[in-house]
Amino acid sequence: MLAIETKQLSKSFWKNNVVKQIDLQVEKGEILGFLGRNGAGKSTFINMLTGILPPSSGSYALLGVQGPNNAVKKEIGVMPDYSSLYGSMTALKHLRYLSEVSGKKVSQSRAMDVLQLVGLEAHANKKAGKFSFGMKKKLAIAQAIVHDPQLIFLDEPTSGLDAESVIQIHRLIQRLHQQGKTIFMTSHNLDEVEKICSRIAIMKDGKIRRVGTMDELRAYYQSTITVTMKHAPIAATDLATLEPWLKQVGAQLEMEASHFTIQVESEQKIAEIIRALGSYKIDIYRVDVDEPSLEEIFLEE
Amino acid sequence: MLAICKREFIQSFKGFKSIIVIAIFLLTAYYSKSFADLLLSLNIDFTSEEKQIIQTIGISFLIMFFGMLFVMGLSHDTINRETHERTIRFLVTRTSRTSIIVGKFLGISLFWFACLLASFVIISIFVHDFDFIVLFQSTSLAVYYSALTVLLSVLIPKPGFTMFLSVVLGIAFPIFNGWLVLTTNNWVSWLKYIFPFYYLDEVNGMFLVVFLLAAVFVAIAILAFRRREC
Repeated sequence: MLAIETKQLSKSFWKNNVVKQIDLQVEKGEILGFLGRNGAGKSTFINMLTGILPPSSGSYALLGVQGPNNAVKKEIGVMPDYSSLYGSMTALKHLRYLSEVSGKKVSQSRAMDVLQLVGLEAHANKKAGKFSFGMKKKLAIAQAIVHDPQLIFLDEPTSGLDAESVIQIHRLIQRLHQQGKTIFMTSHNLDEVEKICSRIAIMKDGKIRRVGTMDELRAYYQSTITVTMKHAPIAATDLATLEPWLKQVGAQLEMEASHFTIQVESEQKIAEIIRALGSYKIDIYRVDVDEPSLEEIFLEE
Repeated sequence: MLAICKREFIQSFKGFKSIIVIAIFLLTAYYSKSFADLLLSLNIDFTSEEKQIIQTIGISFLIMFFGMLFVMGLSHDTINRETHERTIRFLVTRTSRTSIIVGKFLGISLFWFACLLASFVIISIFVHDFDFIVLFQSTSLAVYYSALTVLLSVLIPKPGFTMFLSVVLGIAFPIFNGWLVLTTNNWVSWLKYIFPFYYLDEVNGMFLVVFLLAAVFVAIAILAFRRREC
């Protein structure tokens, strides 16, 4: 079943098309990472799905229910970007009040459990106005999950947090994933998206350029594989025949005394090279295969 | 809706301004009997109907001439403050926009009903009589002001501007409304039908129209808020 489905979803502000006819499908139980530069339209897209902004055209469905629909809001948790909190309300009251607004009022113990998950249990009775930026961010995440929603939208959940808090939030997201929740998150931290998300969507100029798993994106963006092999010294006579053969198998060969680097078209070629070195009785110490990182893919887009 | 209403109701009691307003109402109620006795001793020719409601004249005067100032003073930023500080995003992602507006409106109206009820209870302790009609008439005014306040808070995005407007409207509204009721100028006298004082002048159930006008303001506020970006 699909957790999110958009059809030709668009948003314009006057004549400025911020989101352009997006078709996207997110399966239930997925963590979808939404990437894009500042101004790409990520937050506008999330804001349409969560009811903050009305779409200009197109349609969307959340958890199988055509939106906008208030009934489905009970099953949705949203951590909006740049959210400020109620300064005069304590962390505990925030969770109890907002869960009540959702129509799923939680007990004090449940609210405390959620505060513990985000590391705010010691500040449960402290007013949010006195919180640091990082604490506010954690409370914003807590309010998004307190009512046990099925679909969670997190807009840059870890930006501005210290390393320890980032790990804590990553663990929390993975735990929610294990519970079968669908998570739709945006982030500027490419390592985080690569590590946590099961699929990634890259947005540019209001359009989704590419969606897929990390392997699918790599396969799409990489036409050649760069292989570095560290080996035992090669005799000059062997080298005289091996080097021309390697030049035929791959491209951009760079020979050094202890290793060589070569670009090949497929993984089968790697096996072919290993077999060839074996026939010359040359020991192979290490094989490094260079795959494009998400950062390289992102920059390419 | 209930959660938003409850919070708005409780929030209305908090703060220095609220304490002052509540104190004004309760003190007025406390001295109403003495004031009514003073008026009756002045040999003014009151009708029997006027004599019946003279005990509540202080509260009626307060809500008619300072009601707008008090209601707007306390609640002018009920929506635009949340929009301005983006806390409204927590609400619109959880419940319908209609529930937010109706919840806020009910919370503010309930606060004023509670204030008026407490005042009328205090008066009734001294005069051994409880005037339900005047209570409902006063409540209709408070509800009208509450609806207008919510509408302005939706239409005007800046809390600073609604604060300024609360002072201007608080002073101008009762003066203008009073003049509308008395004027014979046909060009403007029709406006009295959308203002509350005209309906309160009647002793029958015409004050119910004021509730209807409040409902229209709330409906406009909902329509405007539905189109609003949060």
